[in-house]
Amino acid sequence: MELLSNLALGFATALSPMNLFLGFVGCLVGTLIGVLPGVGPIATIAMLMPLTLKVDPTGALIMLAGIYYGAQYGGSTTAILVNMPGESSSVVTCLDGYQMARRGQAGTALATAALASFFAGTCATVLVAAVSLPLSSLALKFGPAEYFSLMVLGLIGAVVLAHGSLLKAIAMILVGLLLGIVGTDVNSGVARFDFGIPELSDGIGVVVVAMGMFGFSEIILNLESTERRELITTRLKGLWFTREQFRRAAPAVLRGTALGSVLGVLPGGGAMLSSFASYSVEKKLSRDPSQFGKGAIEGVAGPEAANNAGAQTSFIPLLTLGIPENAVMAMMVGAMTIHNIQPGPQVMTSNPGLFWGLIASMWVGNLMLVVLNLPLIGIWIKLLTVPYRLLYPAILLFCAIGVYTVNNTSFDVMQTAFFGLLGVLVAKLECEPAPLLLGFVLGPMMEENLRRALLLSRGDPTVFATRPISAGLLAAAILLVLIIALPNMRKRREEAFQEA
Amino acid sequence: MADMQGRILRQDFLGGLAVIGVAALAYWLARKLPASAAGGMGPGALPKGLAVLLGGLGILLLLNAFKGERLARWSVRGPLFVLGALLLFGLTVRPLGLALAGPILIAAAGFASSEVRWRETLIYGLVMTAFCVGLFKFALGLPIPLAPWLLGY
Repeated sequence: MELLSNLALGFATALSPMNLFLGFVGCLVGTLIGVLPGVGPIATIAMLMPLTLKVDPTGALIMLAGIYYGAQYGGSTTAILVNMPGESSSVVTCLDGYQMARRGQAGTALATAALASFFAGTCATVLVAAVSLPLSSLALKFGPAEYFSLMVLGLIGAVVLAHGSLLKAIAMILVGLLLGIVGTDVNSGVARFDFGIPELSDGIGVVVVAMGMFGFSEIILNLESTERRELITTRLKGLWFTREQFRRAAPAVLRGTALGSVLGVLPGGGAMLSSFASYSVEKKLSRDPSQFGKGAIEGVAGPEAANNAGAQTSFIPLLTLGIPENAVMAMMVGAMTIHNIQPGPQVMTSNPGLFWGLIASMWVGNLMLVVLNLPLIGIWIKLLTVPYRLLYPAILLFCAIGVYTVNNTSFDVMQTAFFGLLGVLVAKLECEPAPLLLGFVLGPMMEENLRRALLLSRGDPTVFATRPISAGLLAAAILLVLIIALPNMRKRREEAFQEA
Repeated sequence: MADMQGRILRQDFLGGLAVIGVAALAYWLARKLPASAAGGMGPGALPKGLAVLLGGLGILLLLNAFKGERLARWSVRGPLFVLGALLLFGLTVRPLGLALAGPILIAAAGFASSEVRWRETLIYGLVMTAFCVGLFKFALGLPIPLAPWLLGY
C-alpha cells in the first residue's frame, strides 16, 4: 500500500506544529476574505506572498492552498446572511441560502454549507491522493509534443468554460500569450517586447499581473457601486436540521461532490464553475423545481459541496502535470517559482514531503474550517460592518508592500498600476481576465515545448499528430471546438451560464 | 449618424479596435525578430503568429459590434486615485521609505471614495502604516526601506 505510506508521510508533514500553524493562518485568512466581498482569493494569495518568503516551500504552499478552500467556506457565510456573495463561487448560494435565512433557518443553512463543504473536501482529498500517483507516472512519459498538445487542450477548455463571448475569451488568451512573451527569449537570448526597459528583461511577474487585474481592478469597480449591506440576522439558533431536511440535502451533497470533483479537474474549471453546474443539476433533478430560489436546502447543499470539491481537485493538474488550469492555480505556480520549485510530475519524487504534505493539509484544513467556522460567525458578521472606505486603502497598502517585497523593486508596484488599469478596461468591455492570466502563465511553457518538439522532430510538424498521446489530446481539443461551434450547443452553453 | 455614434460606443466595437491596436503593436515590436532559426522556430515566430491571429479576431469583433451592448458609464475618480496612489507608493518607497510612503498611499487612495473624510484618512494612514512596519519590517524582517532619510535604512 504505497498510497497509505505516502499519506502517512503527508500527515506527518502537515501535522508538524509549524505547518499546522501556517495551514491555520491560511484557512483563517481565506475565510476572512471569503466573508469580505471585494477581495478574491487571487489578490489575497498575491498579498500574502511576502509572508511566505520566510518559511519553507511546503509551509508556504499549505498556507496559500488554505486561502483558496478557506474562501469557499467564508464566501457562503456572507451569501447566506447578507445575500451578497463573498466569492464568485458562492453566487448561487445566495439564491436559496439567503431565502432560508429569511425564513429563520440561517443556522441550518450555515450548518448545511459547512458540513457539505467538509464532506466534499474529504472526498476530494482522497481523490487527489489516489489519482496523483498514476497521473504523475503517466506525465513522466510526456515529451514536449504531448505537453504542448495538453496545453492547447487546456487553453481551449478555458475558452469553452469562460462566461460570455467566445471571441472575447479567445482574444483574452491571445493577449495573455503575448504578455507572456515579454522578456528575454530563452533559446536565442534576444530581448522581446521589452520596450527598452531593463526591468522587463526577466519578463513580467505572475503576481504583478494577477494583483493588478484581479485585485486592484476589483477594488476600483467596487468603489463604483455603492451597495448597502443588510444583515438578516445577528443571532443564530438551531444549527441542526430536521430528518426531512437531511433526507433532501444528503443526495444533493453526494451529487455536488461528484460533479465538483470532475469539473474541478477540467481546464478552466474550479470552484465557481462547479457551484453553478451543481445548482442547475439540482434544479433539474428536483421533483419540485419551483421551490428553488425560495429556500430549497438542496440549492445550498449541492453547490457548496461542489465548489469545495472543485477547489481541491483543481490542484490535480498542477501537482501531477505542472499545468495550472485556472487563475488561482496560476498564482500557485507563481508561489512555487518564488521558492525555486518547478511544478510538474517530478515534484512528487524530488520533494515527496511537500507533495503529500500539501494533500494531507487539505483535509486537516477542512477539519479546522468546519470546527472554526460556526463558532466564529459572530466575528465575521461584525467585520462586515466595517465600511468599505476603510477597508480598501488598507488592502491597497498590504498589496503594495506585498508586490514590492517579492522582488524588492518599486518598478513592480508601478507595473501593477498598469495592470489595474488594464483590468478595469477589460471589465468595462465585459471580457474575462481569467483566460488572460492563464494564457500568460502557459505561454512561455507552450512556446518552449513547441520549439523543443519541433527541434526533436527536425522541424516536422506532424509529430503532434503521430505521437498517440499528443494526437489524442489534440483530437479532444478539436472536438471541444466543434461542439462549441454547433449553434445548438452554443445556445445551451449560454443558457447554462444564464440560469445560475 | 446617430446609428454610427451608437455603434462606436458599443463594447465590441471599442474592444475590437483595442484588440487590433494591441495586435498591430505586437507585430511592429516583433518585426525585427527572425521567425525561423537554425533547426526550428526562431524567437519571432510565435509573437508574429499570435499578433496575426489576434488582429483577425479584432476584425471579427468589429463586424459583430452591431449586436453588442453599449459601454457602461464609468467614473474617472476610482481609477485615478487608486492607481495614482500605487504609482506614488512605487515612486516614494525607496527614497522616503515605508514610514512616509504608507501614509501617502492611504491618503491618496482615500480620495477614490466619495465618502472620504480628511482627518480620519490621515490618522488611519498612520495607524495602518505603523501596523505594517511592525508586521513586515520587524516581525518578518523583510528588506523594505523604513525611513532612509532619518534612520539610514
